[in-house]
Formats: sequence, C-alpha cells, structure tokens
Amino acid sequence: MAHSAWPEWIYVGVVIALMCWVGAEAWEAERLVEHYPEDAHVIKVTGQQWFWTFEHEDGTKEIGELHVETGKAYKFEVTSKDVNHSFNIHDYVVLMDAIPGRVNHVWFAPDKAGEHDIQCREYCGLIHYNMRGKLIVEDPSS
Amino acid sequence: MVLELQKPRPIWQIMFSTHHTDVGLLYLIMSLGFLFLGGALALAIRAELFLPGSQIIGDAMTFNRMFTVHGTTLIFLFIIPFASAVGNYFVPIMVRYKDMAYPKLNAIAFWLIPPAGALIWLGFADFTWYATPPYSIISAPGPAADMWIFGLKILGISSILGSINFVVTIMRCKHPDMSLGQVPLLAWSFLTSSLIILVAMPTFAAALLMLLTDRLGVSGFFNPAMGGDPIAYAHLFWFTFHPEVYVLVIPAIGMMYEIIPRFSRKPIHSYQSGITAFVLLSIVGFSSWAHHMYATGMSFTEKTVFMVGTLAAVPASALHVFNFVATMWNSRIRFSTPMMWAIGGIALFFSAGAGGVANAAMPLDFTTHDTYWVVGHFHLFVMGTIAFGSIGYLYYMYPYVTGRMYNETMGKVHFVMSFIGTVMVFFTQHVLGLYGMPRRIYDYPPIPEWITMNQIASIGAMIIGVSMAIFLANMIYSAGKGKPANIEDPFGVGGRYYYPFEAKNPHH
Amino acid sequence: MKGVIGLLAVLAVLVVIPVAEYAFAAGDEPGEYLDRRVVIWNLFFRMMTIAFVVGAVVSGTIIWQVWRFRESHPKAKPTPYEGTDW
Repeated sequence: MAHSAWPEWIYVGVVIALMCWVGAEAWEAERLVEHYPEDAHVIKVTGQQWFWTFEHEDGTKEIGELHVETGKAYKFEVTSKDVNHSFNIHDYVVLMDAIPGRVNHVWFAPDKAGEHDIQCREYCGLIHYNMRGKLIVEDPSS
Repeated sequence: MVLELQKPRPIWQIMFSTHHTDVGLLYLIMSLGFLFLGGALALAIRAELFLPGSQIIGDAMTFNRMFTVHGTTLIFLFIIPFASAVGNYFVPIMVRYKDMAYPKLNAIAFWLIPPAGALIWLGFADFTWYATPPYSIISAPGPAADMWIFGLKILGISSILGSINFVVTIMRCKHPDMSLGQVPLLAWSFLTSSLIILVAMPTFAAALLMLLTDRLGVSGFFNPAMGGDPIAYAHLFWFTFHPEVYVLVIPAIGMMYEIIPRFSRKPIHSYQSGITAFVLLSIVGFSSWAHHMYATGMSFTEKTVFMVGTLAAVPASALHVFNFVATMWNSRIRFSTPMMWAIGGIALFFSAGAGGVANAAMPLDFTTHDTYWVVGHFHLFVMGTIAFGSIGYLYYMYPYVTGRMYNETMGKVHFVMSFIGTVMVFFTQHVLGLYGMPRRIYDYPPIPEWITMNQIASIGAMIIGVSMAIFLANMIYSAGKGKPANIEDPFGVGGRYYYPFEAKNPHH
Repeated sequence: MKGVIGLLAVLAVLVVIPVAEYAFAAGDEPGEYLDRRVVIWNLFFRMMTIAFVVGAVVSGTIIWQVWRFRESHPKAKPTPYEGTDW
C-alpha cells in the first residue's frame, strides 16, 4: 500500500527527542540527589523483621523512632539483619533498600520540625504492613 | 473442531487430541478458568483494602498468600496460556500449514500447565510472584514455597516447549509460496515473543534451581548468611521477567493488529513498521531489566545505563500506536465488541507507557518504587492493554470457536464497565502511590486520603467483577443458544479472515 | 500534526532551559543543603506536564477518530478496500 512515510519519521523523531529530554532531566536530578554533603551526620539504619533500629554517630540507639534536628544533613547507612526491607520516609522522599550483607546510602536534610512516618516498602513477611516508625524532627536544642 | 458444540465429541477425544485447534481449545478454557480464579482473589484483596483494619481476610499471612497467587495465576496461568490458545488456533492457519510443527510436543506443553497450576494453588505460597530471597529462602513457609518453585519450573518448561513449536512452525513450516515478509503480524508477534522466551527463560530456570537448593540449605547462592548475594537473584529474575513483559504484551498487540484493520475495513497502515517494532522491542527489551532495582543500591552509572536502555524501548512501542491511529484514519469503523476492546486497549497502553517512562527516570523511583504507583502502572499494562487485547480477540474468535455469535449488547456492556472499572482502579492507584502507600500491605493506617482512594479503587474493582460475570454468562449462554454465525464473515465487515471455513473435524 | 510538534518543541525548550539553569545552580551554594523533595517532585511534575500534554494529544486524536470514522457518521464513506479480498 502506498503511503507517505514522513509523518511516521517525524513522530518517531518527536518520541526520541522526548525520551532524550526525560533521560537528561532524570540524569541531572539524580546527580544532584546523589551528591552527599561532606558534613552529613551518619545514622546506621538496620531493618529486621519487623522493626527499624537507628544508631547515631555518638552511639545512641533508637528503636522505631528517629530523632533528628533541622539544619543538619544526615546520611543513612541502611542494612538489614534478616530479609530485604526498604527504608522509606515518604514525606522526605527518602527510600533505600535494606539488604543483608550490603550497606546502602541515602541522605536528607530536614528543614522543619515535625513528625513523619517511616515505613518499610519492600515485602518482608507477615507484619510487613506494620513495620512502621516515626521520624521526629526537632529544632536544635542549643 | 470449528463447530465443537454443534457436532459434539466425547471430551476425552479433545483432551487426547494433538490437533492444534483442540489444543488451542484446551488452552482457551483453562486460561479463562484461571482468569476467573485469579480475578476472584483480586476482588477479595480489594474488599480487604476497602477500609483500614481487618475486613474479610482473617490474617496477614492469608492476604500475602492471596496476592502472591493472584499475580502468579494471572501472569502464568491466564495471560501466557491465553496467548498460546490464540497462537494455536491461528498461527498454523496464518502460515498455511496443517498443524503446529510438533503436534505431540504441543500437547505436552499444554498438559504441563494444569499440574503446575495445581502446585501453585494447592501450595498457596506467600513470597510474592517475585519470590525475593533471602525471604524466600529463610522465612517463607514450606511446602507452599517449594510447590510454587516446582510449579514455576514446570511452567518454564512448558513455555519453552511452546516457543520452540511456534518458532519452528513459523520459520520452517510456512507455505513455500510465502516469505517471512508475508506472514501476518499476529504470527510475527508469536515469532518474536517466542524468541524472547527462548533467550530469557533459561536464566530464571537456573535461578529457580538455585533458590530451591538454597531453601534446602545445601547451597547459599542468594543467602547472605552463607556468603551469597540476594541481588544476584534480582538480576537473574529481572533478566527473564523484564523481557517477559514484552512476551506478554507483544501477542496482545498482535491481536490488535488483527482486529483493528478488520473493523476499520482497511489493511494495516504499515506492515513493515509493525514488524520493525516487534523485532526492535524484542531486542531492546533485554537492555532494561535492572530498572526494577534502582533502590537496591546500584551505582549512578548502572542506573544511567538501565534508564537509557528502558527509554530506548519507548519509540518501538510508540510505533504501534502510530500504526493503529494511521490505520483507523480515513476508515469506516464498525464498533463491534472486539474493536471497542482493542481501541480501549490502545488508549490505556499509552497511559501505562507514560507511567513506565516516569518509573524509568531514576530519581522518581524514590517516590514511586514499591508503592501503589507501580501496582497501578503494571496493571494498566496487564489488564488495560494485554487483557483488553486478549478479551477483544476472544470475542473476535468466538464465532470461529463455537460457530455462534456472542450477544453483542452484553459484550459492549462488558467493555464499558470494564473500561470504567479499570480507569477507576488503576489510575487511582497511581495517585495512591504518590501519597506513599506501599504495595503488598494487608492493612494501612487510617490516613484519610488513603482511605478515600482505596475505596474508589475497590468500587472500580467491583465494577470489573460484575462486568466479568456478564462476560462469563455471555460466553456460556451464547455457546449453546447464540445466533449461528455466518462463518465466512461473522462481523459483516468483508475482507479475508484467517478463519478456515472449510476446516473439517480432524481426529488424531 | 506540524502544529502539535511545534508546540511540543516550544514547550520542551521553555521547560528545559530554566530547569537546567536552576539545577546546575543548586547544591553549589556553601552551607546550604539541597532539598531532595524539591528536586525530585519538580522533576515529577515537569514530566507529568509533558505526559499529560502528549496524552491529551494522543487520546484526543483517538477519540476524534472514533467519532469521525464511525460507520454511522454522515460523511462516512466506504474505504477503497471494501468489497475486495484484501
């Protein structure tokens, strides 16, 4: 069947251009969020069935609750003791899988005092649905 | 074989037959059976999530088992066998051969599926269709998990045998007068998807074996306590199952390539670009698997590579949409039920694809990964595109299979309700994911937005459920009491169908 | 069709340039931490803007076709293939 092919080529060109744009934008945004601030405080996050444990730089440990301060950057070192979990603070768009035998990194800098949910986003068994915690952001005490 | 119900045969004759239409009929009935079983689980899941707290499902373990079996059933026991049913009926006819290349192998490939289905349903495993280690190794209760592994193993063998059969039938048994460039697009879709299976499936087969020995404790491939790496499983799994997505979608697109020109009363706009898109998709589909794993701690470079690989699949998929739109241009469309399903499928195909592009964009994974966004996204593919194309094609081949017409009004009601329901469930689930609701959860905290959106989704699911009941009634009633079809042109749109009007009732 | 493409091209340029400038500027300021919520959600909403525009064009085209080329449309005319064995 005789038909002109140029509309199809233009169409494909537009699709490819759009995908290049998506790729470039995503690449740039990812580059920015993967740039860890050098002065970030390290918090060790350990997931296990079915709760989260946090260990601050000074050795204090918290279970199910995490206290952080505004104006500081925090770098999470996420790992797991048993099965895969996924550490998630949705309000701060923080997400990183907790995988046994690996330490994964993700960082954030809270800017306002408040309470936020921490949850597990990777299926981890019976009480996965209730593997929840609280992030408590406070203003610096000094 | 065509008019099975008008010239009844004892059921064992069909069951022990190796003729391609008999095997096709078996595939068809079994896959529809599993569609309703898997769909019933979906309705139960949606009912449970209608409100926070426990509704109809007593405990989390049962819920976890239900969504695992729901996913496994609808992917492996509905979509793939349904495509095989269509392929069995039409591929030999399209390449003008008397049967599939290896009829006995064909029957074996089918008969492997019921035991596999029984293993999956009787075991009722709980580790999600992804069976992620180390959970599946150290935590998932047996024997359910082991039965699931064996079930999937058998299904893998079945689909490899089926694929070999399709490839050989198309490449070697097509009529000598027919070049590969004349084989209809539906048959091309089976050729490309079968080739994908042959390349992809062995990887998962190996991973399953390793998973099994890990569970038995004799190896530690994926068990960190024994020096293994769970991420290795993720790579092996997605190396098979990302291409598998194209295995599911390509035959559905092929079915649309049969329906849309037929009811537009016009040949397909560009046969060449259809083939190009199939072949491109089957190659590029192998470059994107790890986009399922951005959050597992991959490096920036790895993520970039797989993002590019994922985006590269988009132009090929977009070519199909262009082809469909161009075919309908300047045509005269008859809106019989199959055409409505096909057009609805294309519309949802776009939305599903757009969601996929957003998923592929690396940083957006922080918002969408493992939330209901992902659930909505892939259900738009499997339900909105693949099941829509498949159900449309089922209506299309109905006169050929039964010799009777389905009830057109009921078919249209089925479509309208399913379309509304699909939009309600899966578009809402996208938004729900943006609000942060994780997938695979039995219960959720009473956050007002979550409750509202879960309720919209559940109501949508019930609408789909009702429409499926209408569908079932239509299929059963019309098979016995429907108007006899004019088998040479059942839809009154003219042109050359791939219906073998002259077909007899072969037994062998 | 050409108009649509032009529109998309213009939109793409309008969106890309300011965003790229903003993105390159951010994160370089000393003592200030980047807000990942801003970066990620901005990216999301920009992409959704484009997705919804393209989606409107695609589904608009399909809806118009379905309305215009239905066989009951007053201007419907037989295709050249009808009555042949194509």
